[in-house]
Amino acid sequence: MFERFTKDARAVVQDAVGHAEAAGARTVGAEHLLLALLDREGSRASFALAALGAGGQGESVRRALDEARRRAGLSRAEADALAGLGIDVTEIVSRVEEAHGAGAMTGDPEGGARRSRRVGFGRDAKEVLTGSLRAALARRDRHIGDEHLLLALTTRPGVPAEVLADHGVTHESLSRVLGGEGEARAG
Amino acid sequence: MSEATDLAARAGDRDPRVGLRAVAALRRLLEQLESVQVRSAREQGWSWQEIASELGVSRQAVHKKYGRR
Repeated sequence: MFERFTKDARAVVQDAVGHAEAAGARTVGAEHLLLALLDREGSRASFALAALGAGGQGESVRRALDEARRRAGLSRAEADALAGLGIDVTEIVSRVEEAHGAGAMTGDPEGGARRSRRVGFGRDAKEVLTGSLRAALARRDRHIGDEHLLLALTTRPGVPAEVLADHGVTHESLSRVLGGEGEARAG
Repeated sequence: MSEATDLAARAGDRDPRVGLRAVAALRRLLEQLESVQVRSAREQGWSWQEIASELGVSRQAVHKKYGRR
């Protein structure tokens, strides 16, 4: 699968590791792939983001991801569902952080086992990688580019998709600006 | 009825989607809390057996999930 990755897609995967390490995360998460995508310039994904008006929104996306961290990595929908049961997630996170330090609840349940010095890819990030292959197949593209990683992020339910949607980037809007390229057109 | 109980009733009784989402979210939150507490206990020198008995699970279960430290 990786041999079909374009240079941009490879760079995103590599930079995601850098973002995870810089954040002190124990695994590379889907949000790190998103941060890496936002760093790209002159790639298909960056053109698509610009076309959707999300080009210069890196800071805003970063802030939204930060807020999600304070919700223990839960999406806003999940936090709302818990609020419906009278559970205040941000309150829980702030108490845990008081006792165990900032970023203690980073949405990384595998965290207990530090198996190696190098950060590995978390399940969510792996799902995005396999999702990018599916996205390429669906569009009948022979390569897997950073635009397919972005598409995969929008289709996988969770924080990155929610943040992207808040910035006008959904699977639908993305498919529109990415256009044809042998894409299976309905009707 | 307060707003919270109202919402809770709604989550519990009517819309299964909201209720199920709350359960799934709670499970994720729980996993994270457990991970934080187990890590902290290990850092304070607790044995797997001690951690397991506080959690009410077998020593093997905890070790398998968080072990190799």
